[in-house]
Amino acid sequence: MSEIISRRNFLKLAGLGATAAVLTGCGPAARYVTRNPYYDMPEYTQTGLSTYFATTCRECPAGCGLIMRTFEGRAIKAEGNPAHPVNGGKLCSRGLTGVQGLYNPDRFKSAVQRPQRGDPAVEPVEWDAALQVVKDALNGPAGEVAFLLGLNQDHLADLVTQLAETIGAPAPLRYGALGMFEGRATLVKAAEQVFGQAVFPYFDIAGADLVVSFGANFLEAWLSPVAYSRAYGRFRRAEPLKKRGYLVSFEARRSLTSGSADEWYPVVPGSEGLLAAALGKLLSESSGFSAVMDYAAVDVQAACAAAGIEPEKLEALAQLIARAERPLFLPGGNALGHADGLAAAVNILALNAGRGNFGVPGGVYLTTSPAGTATLTDLRGLVDRMRTGQVSTLFIHGCNPVFELPPTLGFTQALANVKTVVSFASFPDETALQADYVLPDHTPLEGWGYQYTLAGVDRPVLSGAQPVVVPLYETRATADMLLSAGKLPYKDEVEFIQSVLEDKVGQPDANISGTDLPSLWAKYLQAGGWWLAAPSLSAPEKNFADGASTAQPQAAGSGQFHLMTYPTLFGDGSGANRPWLQETPDPATTVMWNSWVEINPKTAEELGLHDDDIVKVRSEAGEVEAVVYLYPAIRPDTVAIPFGQGHTALGRWAERRGCNPAELLKVTMNEAGDLAFGDTLVTITPTGKRRPIARAESRVGVYGDH
Amino acid sequence: MNKPLPLWMRPWVRITFAVVVLIFLGAAAGGLYLTQTVPEQPIQFPHNFHVGSGIPCMYCHPGAQWGPTAGLPTTQKCLGCHQQVEKRTPEIEKLLNYAANGQSIPWVPVAIQPDFVQFNHRPHVAAGVECATCHGDLTKMTVAEPQRGQNMGWCLECHQKQGPEKWERLSDCALCHY
Repeated sequence: MSEIISRRNFLKLAGLGATAAVLTGCGPAARYVTRNPYYDMPEYTQTGLSTYFATTCRECPAGCGLIMRTFEGRAIKAEGNPAHPVNGGKLCSRGLTGVQGLYNPDRFKSAVQRPQRGDPAVEPVEWDAALQVVKDALNGPAGEVAFLLGLNQDHLADLVTQLAETIGAPAPLRYGALGMFEGRATLVKAAEQVFGQAVFPYFDIAGADLVVSFGANFLEAWLSPVAYSRAYGRFRRAEPLKKRGYLVSFEARRSLTSGSADEWYPVVPGSEGLLAAALGKLLSESSGFSAVMDYAAVDVQAACAAAGIEPEKLEALAQLIARAERPLFLPGGNALGHADGLAAAVNILALNAGRGNFGVPGGVYLTTSPAGTATLTDLRGLVDRMRTGQVSTLFIHGCNPVFELPPTLGFTQALANVKTVVSFASFPDETALQADYVLPDHTPLEGWGYQYTLAGVDRPVLSGAQPVVVPLYETRATADMLLSAGKLPYKDEVEFIQSVLEDKVGQPDANISGTDLPSLWAKYLQAGGWWLAAPSLSAPEKNFADGASTAQPQAAGSGQFHLMTYPTLFGDGSGANRPWLQETPDPATTVMWNSWVEINPKTAEELGLHDDDIVKVRSEAGEVEAVVYLYPAIRPDTVAIPFGQGHTALGRWAERRGCNPAELLKVTMNEAGDLAFGDTLVTITPTGKRRPIARAESRVGVYGDH
Repeated sequence: MNKPLPLWMRPWVRITFAVVVLIFLGAAAGGLYLTQTVPEQPIQFPHNFHVGSGIPCMYCHPGAQWGPTAGLPTTQKCLGCHQQVEKRTPEIEKLLNYAANGQSIPWVPVAIQPDFVQFNHRPHVAAGVECATCHGDLTKMTVAEPQRGQNMGWCLECHQKQGPEKWERLSDCALCHY
């Protein structure tokens, strides 16, 4: 203690101070806090209590049900809707980040006009003037208007289809990278050939006892990942009268699905169709399999050689399938995105047909949702029309073609010949950067709507969407903008949605019922949509003629590698502006915040590459630079780059991060018109540079000591 | 005789000590007094006039019938009447200023419970308890004043009056402390 204050005095003073603090702290003044109540309280709010809204996640086309927790008028937390037939209360990481779309600081906050395409500088424009642009276009020559929409089969897609029909414009094209990398149009086309109906098949994974996945990464991204992950949980669970399901996967790299499989075969990309045919041939020799196609010409040995799998293993697998009670065969995007992708899809669906597991537990059903996904051939048609000046106004909503499409398709160049480009984007993405007008739609949590569900549910669903918060900025519903031209007999967006719901009035056997529209509407909003109370999909009927494809996969040339490009939790790339998603480690590699190229350590050794080396990946179409990640679980003749990063726009969290593998894709189509992205061959050249990437694995701390 | 007095018996020491003690006691008393005063409100809201003219409490504090907190009126709620009311006073001018700037009124709630007490208005309103039972006679106050003696014994006293069949539930600690 110092000379001035003795120890005793110090203790006395401290005691007095503490007493004063305690005495004053007892009174209410210590707890008086200034509150800032609302200026104008939103409806349904109760101070101090959360309000919950049932709506639909519109981050991808799957159509999961959401329960949004809101507090004092702000959306706080997204959770799955437990009553919803698609996700049953579960949600994927993408859906959880929905609020980061709502609160994204880079959002367009009002209508803007861009004096110079490609220049980020914009000028505000009055909504009335913007509305006039839309009206003029819709009242002009109908053949010169084109609509390009995202993959979501929602109310806007229905409305624009009706609008285009009414004014005589070409039907809207719905396209997106997710559909491209899953070969959705190919799947629908194959379903038409095998089942006679051009719809998405629904695969009842939960009821199967053996699932053979041909490149279908259904635990991460395929079609309806939450629905299929839930089904996978039940598939794997052993119950008194049910064995634990057995999963077999054919995929060149080990995805989360292959990593969970009991047997994983890293086959040559593009050989999946051949293997399906070979399996069909082996199975047709066993009982319980009635071949629906002619397997006489199939050479099992050759197929195994082409796929890089030992024939004994395929025979053992055929025996396993023959013993299984309810085997199920999944045609994934990696199998379909090849020149012979349609044949591959047909071969795989024919295996299901051969076992006759239609409309039974563990079998295949036909969904009722409209399937109208555009193909890349359709897109090329649009690009041709744009290039030749046949399109004077292009409306773009819900997709980002400048980023998602292979640049060699020439979409960006063709835009130059379009007089007016109107984007309804919420975020400053690459396509909005090329638009003359950006008339931002409400983000999904601020707007009305409905959405049909994609292939993940055993019944027809009209998933309902409603605003959970008052729109934060001066945005306007795109549906209202388009209706303002007065071409359709609806007053506004809500009236259009109600007109669709009107068919459901008085319909029994649904989750909600109402004898008039207002009561049904109220229940629809409360329940989060309309769906049938019991599973009710129809079984496909066999309607099959074609022979099995025996097209050989393209062999890799010397020094060349197969390129695998796969969608991640970023979906079609629009998830890259969510910091939560950027920060989520990839399930296979644990990499965050960047792109990487997966290379087998053996190959890397031959090329003299190490982790974190930057390499140039070059294809016929283009080249990108990416950081090497040594991945033992990929074929030595294959490299893989995830899709979604490499944005040049889309806000602070997405820009200048990683690479866009779409730049490597050559524009070659399969018979269904889908992009044959799986046939891309690349060379790898070291650059001599290094860039340690953030990954949780094998590092001290999150970012490592480097 | 010249033996010096011990330090603690010297008058100046005693006087100094007494003064210091008095200063501390005074400060403590003052501090204690300050804790019990009504806080400054942004607007000297005359509850007496509003309640006196027959406006129900729950017109402005409707949350009391639905949930835990009664809530404070929003600027728009005040304006609902005051854009019709001709009368202008300096206090109403303040309100109109808040409204013109799109601001909320920074009220300071006085009827508050500590964080470890989970009080809910709704069951009390549903049971027919008058607002004045806990909040005092607002016809005699301008700005709301905190009520004295709202401690646990006071709560329990009223709970006990609800009859023995309810008392078992109403005396459960976890009813309010959870």
